[in-house]
Amino acid sequence: MTEERMDAADAPESAMPESAASEAAAPEATEAGAEVSPASTAHSAGAAANPAASAAPAAGASAPAGASDDPRVGVFVCDCGTNIAATVDCPSVTEYAAGLGDVVFAEEGKWICSVDYLTRIQQAVKENDLNRAVVACCTPRTHEKLFKNTVGAAGMNPYQLEFVSIREQVSWVHKADKAVATDKAKDLVKMGVAKARLLEEGEEIRLPVKTDCLVIGGGAAGMTAAIAVADQGYVVRLVEKQDVLGGLLKDVNTVAPKGVPAAEVVERLVAQVVASENIEVLTSTEITALAGYIGNYTVDVSRVGVPGTFDASTIIVTTGMRELDATGHYGHGTGDDVITQLDLERRLKAGEPLGAKNVVIVQCVRSRNEERGCCHIGCTVALKNALEIKQRDPEANVYLLYKDLITVKDEYAHMKEILKAGVKTVRFSDARPPEVTRGADGRAAVTVHDVLLGAELTLPADLVVLTVGFEGDETVPHLRGLLKVSANEDGFFTESHVKLGPLDFAAAGVYLAGSARSPKPLRDVREEALGAAMRASIPMTKGHVQAEGIVATVDLTDCSQCGLCWKNCPFGAIEEIDKNPHILEALCKGCGLCAADCPKECIQIVHYGDAQIAAQIEAALEDKPEEKIIAFVCHWCALGAVDIAGVGRSEYPANARIIRVMCSARVAQKYVLDCYDRGAAGVLVAGCEFPTCHYITGNYKCSDRLVRLRKKMEKKGYDTSRLWEVWLSASMGPKWVATMKEMTEVLGLVPACKS
Amino acid sequence: MSDSVLIVGGGIAGITAALNVADYGRHVYLVDDTPSIGGTMARLDKTFPTNDCSICIEAPKMYEVNTHPNIEILTNTEIRKVTQTDDGFTIRLLKKAKYVDEEKCTACGKCVEACPVSVPDEIDGKIGGTRKLISVAFPQAVPNKNYLDIRCRNGSMRSEGACIGECVVDCSQCRECPIAHCVKACNNEGKFAVVLWQKDENIDIDVQSVIVATGIKSHEPPEGLYGYDVFPNVITYMHFERLMNAGGPTEGDIIRPSDKQHPHRIAWIQCVDRGDKGLPYCSKVCCMVAAKQTIITKEHDPSAECTVFYNNMTSYGKGFEEFYQKASGLGVRYIIGRPFDVTEDPETHNLTLRYEDIINGTIVEEEFDLVVLSSGLEPNDRNKRVAKTLKIDVDERTGFFTEPDPLFSPLETATPGVFLCGGATSPIDISESVVQATAASMKAVARRVRVAEEVAV
Ligand SMILES: Cc1cc2nc3c(=O)[nH]c(=O)nc-3n(C[C@H](O)[C@H](O)[C@H](O)COP(=O)(O)OP(=O)(O)OC[C@H]3O[C@@H](n4cnc5c(N)ncnc54)[C@H](O)[C@@H]3O)c2cc1C
Ligand SMILES: Cc1cc2nc3c(=O)[nH]c(=O)nc-3n(C[C@H](O)[C@H](O)[C@H](O)COP(=O)(O)OP(=O)(O)OC[C@H]3O[C@@H](n4cnc5c(N)ncnc54)[C@H](O)[C@@H]3O)c2cc1C
Ligand code: SF4
Ligand code: SF4
Ligand code: SF4
Repeated sequence: MTEERMDAADAPESAMPESAASEAAAPEATEAGAEVSPASTAHSAGAAANPAASAAPAAGASAPAGASDDPRVGVFVCDCGTNIAATVDCPSVTEYAAGLGDVVFAEEGKWICSVDYLTRIQQAVKENDLNRAVVACCTPRTHEKLFKNTVGAAGMNPYQLEFVSIREQVSWVHKADKAVATDKAKDLVKMGVAKARLLEEGEEIRLPVKTDCLVIGGGAAGMTAAIAVADQGYVVRLVEKQDVLGGLLKDVNTVAPKGVPAAEVVERLVAQVVASENIEVLTSTEITALAGYIGNYTVDVSRVGVPGTFDASTIIVTTGMRELDATGHYGHGTGDDVITQLDLERRLKAGEPLGAKNVVIVQCVRSRNEERGCCHIGCTVALKNALEIKQRDPEANVYLLYKDLITVKDEYAHMKEILKAGVKTVRFSDARPPEVTRGADGRAAVTVHDVLLGAELTLPADLVVLTVGFEGDETVPHLRGLLKVSANEDGFFTESHVKLGPLDFAAAGVYLAGSARSPKPLRDVREEALGAAMRASIPMTKGHVQAEGIVATVDLTDCSQCGLCWKNCPFGAIEEIDKNPHILEALCKGCGLCAADCPKECIQIVHYGDAQIAAQIEAALEDKPEEKIIAFVCHWCALGAVDIAGVGRSEYPANARIIRVMCSARVAQKYVLDCYDRGAAGVLVAGCEFPTCHYITGNYKCSDRLVRLRKKMEKKGYDTSRLWEVWLSASMGPKWVATMKEMTEVLGLVPACKS
Repeated sequence: MSDSVLIVGGGIAGITAALNVADYGRHVYLVDDTPSIGGTMARLDKTFPTNDCSICIEAPKMYEVNTHPNIEILTNTEIRKVTQTDDGFTIRLLKKAKYVDEEKCTACGKCVEACPVSVPDEIDGKIGGTRKLISVAFPQAVPNKNYLDIRCRNGSMRSEGACIGECVVDCSQCRECPIAHCVKACNNEGKFAVVLWQKDENIDIDVQSVIVATGIKSHEPPEGLYGYDVFPNVITYMHFERLMNAGGPTEGDIIRPSDKQHPHRIAWIQCVDRGDKGLPYCSKVCCMVAAKQTIITKEHDPSAECTVFYNNMTSYGKGFEEFYQKASGLGVRYIIGRPFDVTEDPETHNLTLRYEDIINGTIVEEEFDLVVLSSGLEPNDRNKRVAKTLKIDVDERTGFFTEPDPLFSPLETATPGVFLCGGATSPIDISESVVQATAASMKAVARRVRVAEEVAV
């Protein structure tokens, strides 16, 4: 694997708020500025409000002096006007910080995020040769990038900044007792410094991506995607297993709602595909093997039995769908007068007279039952064809037997037209579904209970048309293995997130579109295809994928080759090479799942390493552990809830010390045990409320792990009632507050802050 | 030649389009005419069909937008004038004053604490939600800055005791109101961020293409329909959504407006005001929204009795039918048909629905504690103006923007280079909005010559 490494220190420089830099350089006498009282101007201009520490290394410095990575920590404590300073004794916190190990600089600022103070931070970094920084202020969820960029632009490695939240986690929620609030703020700063001292340099990691794309499936989706990708000048290989392009549309008569002939759609798309010099069409071709990852796939194909190999950087999956087998349902298979919608489309398209005076259409065949959901297009297709039959033969009786008629968008207007044309609709329910019977003469009839009329009807039928549900292509089980992606029981591929990642798979580099995802009308298929083309084009246009520095690293010394890590990684970021794990850092999202579950402790996460988290635990529990709760809180929803509790100024007991992790899946069993061993009153694990997780299923993995941990602890005689968990959505500030109150009460702690 | 892209509307569609275009390497202007991006999704509780918490999945995207080096967010901003150039558009934007200096405001909330005037919130007002005249749009707002309600500055609130104390000056004349509580509070903090004399600002930009993502709005039923606006315990599904939401006016406590008690018997009426006089289309999401709301009600209180009056179960999307089955499985009663009317017991404010039980052919009267009207989605009320500015069309019947050729050129409009996505096209759910936004971003970055040729892609 080839990875470019960028010097992270200058990477984000362009992201440095320009306004911040330029304005600070030439401070404009704004109107507001003119009104500022001299005292506060001095303050906000970043004059050291409390220059408690000078360059003298504080006691307890551990690293040998002179070593190049001697930690030199700077601590910046924010007053946030009076927001923090009115509750927390900021000067005392700053003084305390100055006395902590390796802290060579500590300063209080009135607003450390203000344009002028950011310049002050950069100056402090340069003047004091800082290589670690701790900011004690609001919340990383809004301000982390700003401070990282700021120190980065001053030449410090931005990953060596640690964020401590003394507004949302302290001053806003523990107003009642200033001493308690100040103590907690000191603890948090101490934890921050303890971790900062151990922070390693991070760097943005890149993996190059070329501009060649593989599209699997040459239906409407595949062709649309191929054209859009090729249009940018990128190479596309369009692989179709049949001998012609077109997919389902080849057999469809017209396309509802506007009634455009499907043949015209196919023709136009094929013409564009053929005209594009960037698209290589491989018909009668099957994929036999596929290996690699984004930017680096090797594809083996068999084209009319002849093997071939090519490379691809990205893959778009558009393998479509097919009708389920209807044999045995509603008399299908008992005679050629019971057909499916696709059969009907073929006949209509061929222009054959149907020769049927009585046509009965039955909806929801093999769908909307225990097995599977709605077939998504059946109502549209049935209405379209009912109208078509009526238009061809106005004398024909057409009955449409349905459970619910879904007519959204244009179909709603369409529906009125259909009813006007004289198509008769009959609503039935699952309790009494229709039945196809045959008389002595072999002629079919359909009996049905009309729920709206409350009557049993028997309808003679010269032709019974079944609107059958769909399933994914037969090659899906094979493909999903090759692509390392998942699919549901019906063979429809599973996207990374139904709502916000509908066209992506969890693994970068593979995208999906069209009816391979779920059945849908042509228009939606084409929109998805365009979208998938965009998703695939982004890394190809950028020329790389990148990961932030928070990634997994592996040390193989103790590795037992158990394979847990590469099986578990939700993002396919661990490659197995000769039974050894190999991290594809550019694909790693840094959730920490692999590290927490590795039985041999071979895996570390940059910025969330075992030593760093242990240092935080140790710092938090140095004094009065029996009063304290260690709360492992995930960065996304759980910390969001903590922040909302802050914004809402909800008072709650101040016993908890929060240790932030990116995902609750990072919380290794040993961390919990470490807290117990150090005498913590309680441990709380807080993650995203199910089913949401920023890392797909990290919270589920964590919750399973806690079950195992409790069992283990019980065997060893630990008191598991002190281990709590809570799953929060980002708006559940009140639930966080309630948990804090309940936990202190149940554990019998003196609430370190009354409410 | 500029290869930037303007995106009008910062809901989930606009956000998704912005991130895609920006990741592709292009500069993006993301414009919203309200004080924060986020759109409708920022106000929802959970989202069907998986019940992911809405803000939990949207907020990280908002943060990404906010910190993306290629994206410039312009809130409280309208598009005013569009001139077509050979290779794109020159566009004049009007950034309306927020009366708060965004560079200086730290969202500390001192001004909010100080402001004495609470007004009913636009969305939550009917269910008791209020906000101050100076406020943040919602806790996760991006940009996370306060803004001053124009009603305050105009001084029109003075008669209601808005500007306090002895001030004799019309607020609109006031340059730095010395007695305005918000100004004072902010100055006391040393921030000097409230600037009553802030002016609207014109901004001219050049772009290659425009994506219209102006979204949808929950339809307000006409007064009196099923007792709406007459009986306190008849609310819309948007109100119910806010009641469920931990970030809503009741912190997620489902209570009914008349007596703030937990309703036990709740009825949802689907397709309210659908038809030729009201909304002449199916709003698509309401069936699933009702399923979601019943499931969550049951989660809050398993003994709650939920009844849904519906016509056709619109379970058209991936996982939707299963979601509906989940609701039925939890004991939610589904009744086909729309009730005839609603009457209220003036003492208890309970509501009686009269409906036909079509299975037994009888007329039934049944009492409920709370009635929720699924009143549908309608196009944004600012669409007409946007259409005029960009020379694109809105459908007379529905009010949504139209595409001349939806099958061959989906998401394209009458003006080459202007594309649609999300609720701007039709009633739509989040997933489809995201798909369309991604597709529209492909079109927006595509080579201009192709756009001009109007080649079907
Ligand atoms: C009866 C019927 C009527 C319809 N009527 C309408 C209508 O009126 N209006 C409307 O909007 N929509 C309609 N549709 C839906 C529309 O036809 C489909 O949504 C659309 O054609 C799907 O396109 P696709 O590319 O996703 O899938 P498909 O058309 O299924 O194409 C998938 C292609 O991939 C190929 N493939 C699969 N696996 C592999 C593999 N492993 N390797 C290589 N190639 C592979 C297949 O051979 C196929 O060519 C109808 C569908 C049916 C069945
Ligand atoms: C009560 C309710 C519940 C719902 N529940 C779900 C659910 O559970 N799951 C689901 O998938 N969907 C749900 N939906 C639908 C979902 O809200 C929409 O699909 C989604 O919000 C559409 O996103 P959008 O970005 O297109 O529009 P919006 O979210 O409406 O955003 C549009 C944005 O554009 C801005 N804007 C408008 N006009 C202009 C202009 N002229 N200039 C500048 N800016 C402008 C607006 O201020 C707004 O920020 C629900 C809808 C409602 C009403
Ligand atoms: S940290 Fe998460 S994403 Fe990274 S390799 Fe481990 S499991 Fe995969
Ligand atoms: S007081 Fe000033 S800084 Fe604080 S939120 Fe209000 S405007 Fe912003
Ligand atoms: S000007 Fe007066 S009324 Fe208006 S927000 Fe400020 S204090 Fe409130």
